[in-house]
Order: sequence, then structure tokens, then C-alpha cells
Amino acid sequence: MNRDITNDDRSKLLTLENLSCTQGENLLFQGLDLCLRSGECLHLRGPNGSGKTSLLRIVCGLMSSDSGKVLWQGRPATSDTEFATQCFYLAHKDALKSELSAIENLRFIQALEGNIDEDALDDALDKMRLLSCADLPVQALSFGQRRRLAFAKLLVIERRLWILDEPFTGIDKEGKVLIEQLCIDHLEKLGSILLTHHQKLDSTPLKAYLQEYDILKASK
Amino acid sequence: MSTFKIYFAREWQLMFRNTGALIQPLVFFIIIALLFPFSLPAESNLLQQIGGGIIWVSAVLATLLSLESMFHADYQDGTLEQTLIHHRSLTLAMLGKVMAHWTATGLVLSLISPVLCVTFNIPADQIWVLFVGLLLGTPSLTLIGAIGAALTVTLRRGGVLIAVIILPLYIPVLIFGAGMLTQSYQGLEVTSQIYALAAIFAMSLTLAPLAISASLRATIK
Repeated sequence: MNRDITNDDRSKLLTLENLSCTQGENLLFQGLDLCLRSGECLHLRGPNGSGKTSLLRIVCGLMSSDSGKVLWQGRPATSDTEFATQCFYLAHKDALKSELSAIENLRFIQALEGNIDEDALDDALDKMRLLSCADLPVQALSFGQRRRLAFAKLLVIERRLWILDEPFTGIDKEGKVLIEQLCIDHLEKLGSILLTHHQKLDSTPLKAYLQEYDILKASK
Repeated sequence: MSTFKIYFAREWQLMFRNTGALIQPLVFFIIIALLFPFSLPAESNLLQQIGGGIIWVSAVLATLLSLESMFHADYQDGTLEQTLIHHRSLTLAMLGKVMAHWTATGLVLSLISPVLCVTFNIPADQIWVLFVGLLLGTPSLTLIGAIGAALTVTLRRGGVLIAVIILPLYIPVLIFGAGMLTQSYQGLEVTSQIYALAAIFAMSLTLAPLAISASLRATIK
């Protein structure tokens, strides 16, 4: 019994309590409660402009909410706590330097983590089918390739929570399969994913892990 | 590796991939300073007297020109956001970035300045005064200027606004830097000015990175 409680607490990675956000005069959402456990994938749904990206930015600490709390394993999540070392935010913008080559971009991400392992970089590029363009500057890559390179970042660093903003936009079928497999591997290792997508994700193998969360319905 | 080193090295790498933007402030600096000998009477020793001041003003303008691009590319491609939420210290990261930026602008400006002194017919013993002044003053210019660049990073055309915010703050550096030359021209000691410039440098080195990271956190929402 006792073990169950501690497990339950520990598995609750991310908790959002009574979160509200306004943009200018517009109320985006109000009173959102949400809980993400390890090994879970939460799919935030809502039409354009419903505040999906804002919610993700609030979770990352890039934006402040009007009210409510973001908790990481029961403690407030801010950039100077453990939370920052455990979450990775992949935004619309790929956060890649177009002057640097694919592998140099990854090497920087890895250097910030404190360990340099060239093999891991090659492996990550290979997994995302980008090994042939490892030394090409990112500005020479296509949109889909850049997107895949952005996902390769998730492979070179170890984070428990992935926050993905519209991960399947602008990506071909092959890339989508790669990314889905990446997400499934992460979830199997008891990581968590918070992702947004404007459509239902019905026809993917990821569906078995998905939980849908409609922002408009949840907003009070 | 330390945060400072990682960002310093990365900024260097990026700057040398984009040499056009790297050379721009330097060429601007040389051209502005060279316009004066052409437009002022050459027979009197007027040029000799005002040459140092002109080189200082050119250095300030060239620094200003280089500021707008400092954070803008990072903001556009999303890397700045990632730095903001990263668990490594934003202050140290920005210090590394800004100091790398200085080595490509302020440091090189200082190194070119003795050559420009020749066109103003500035005597040799005053060239080192100008050189030391620029070497101590330009890092402060870049560090203080980066605060303005951080405040205006989200604006599309923030250049003019940076100038309005930052130029008044450059006045103390300019007074001591150019004042050094006037003093030495009159045969007086310049130690006090050197100390003053060093004090401003020490203060901007310690406080500006904090102000830069606070401004970035405040502007990027």
C-alpha cells in the first residue's frame, strides 16, 4: 500500500494546476488542470489560436501564466530547479544555426550537457537518416531534413520530458514514421511527452500511448 | 567545459562563417575616421588635436553598428529561447557571447587605430595613449551596448532605438577615453583616466551580463 503511494507520487512527473492565460484582452484558457505521468504521452488538441503553444511555453517557463502553478514531481518548476535539466522543448523554430553543419549543431547541444561523445552524434544522425548530410551546413538542408535534425537533438541528450510543438508539421511519411518510433522508444523507457497537434492522431502506432486533452473543453 | 567557454567558442565559429557581417563594422570604422582628414583643413595642426576624438567617435559608431545583429539571429532561429530555458547560466552564456563579439569588433578596432593615427599626424607617444584607451574602453562599449541590443531584440528595426538608449550611456567612456588624449597632448599625466576607464570596464564586466540576461528574459515572452 505504502509502495503504491510513493510510486504514484513519483510517476506524476508534471502537474498543472488551475492554469490561466490571457493574451492582450483575449482569454486563451482558464482553470486548466493536467497531469502527466512517466511513460505517458499527452496530446494537446485545439483549433488554431486556442493557446496550445502558449500552454507549452508556460510549462517551459518562457511565458508566465496569469494564475496557477506548474509542478515538476510535486515541486514548482522553474529554470533553476531540476526541472530544467529534465525537460526539452522543441518549438516551431528548429533552434538550429544555419551557418553550422548538422553535426556541429548537435555537438553544441551535447557540449552544453557536459559530455562529448562523437559516436553518439553519428548514431543520432544515422537514426534520423541524416548521416549523408552530416557535414552540410544546415541552410543547405530541406525543411523536412532540418526538422529531423531537430529531433536528432533529442537523441544526443537525455531528458525525461519532451515538449513537442506540432512535431508532424512539414514532414514526409518516412520522417513521420521515424519520429513516431522515436517517441515510442522514449515512452517505453518511461519518459513522457507533451505534444500538440491540431488533428486527431488516429492512424499512428503512437495511438496506443496517447491521451487526448482538448484545451477548449478543459478550459472552464 | 564551462558555459562561458562553450558560448565563446560557438560565437567565434559563427562569426567566422559569416565574414561579411564581421568585416562591416571595421570597414565602417576606417571609412568614418578617414572622412575627416579629407574634409578638414590640413595646414594647421587641427587634425592632430582632434584626431583622437574622431577615432573615439568612430569606434563608438562602429560598435553601435555591430550591436543590432548581436542577438537578432539567435532570436529569429529560436536558439535564444533554448538558451533562456537551459539549465546552464544565461548570464555566463551571454558574457561569453558578448566577449567573443568584442574580440571581433572592439579588439580589432583598437589594433587598427594606430594606423589611423598616422593619417591624423598624431605624434607617436600619443598613439599608445589612444591604443590603451581603446583597449580598455571598447569592451565596456560592447558590454553596455549589448544591454540595449537585448532590450530591442524583438523589434524588427531596433537599430535607431538601440542608439537612443545606448549612446547617452557611452558618454562617460567617451569623456575619459578622449580626455586622455587631450591631457597627454598638453603633456599631463593620464593615469587617472586609465583608472577611470578600468573601473568602468570592471563594473560593466560584472553588472552588464546580469542586465543582459534580465533584459532578454523580460523581452522574450
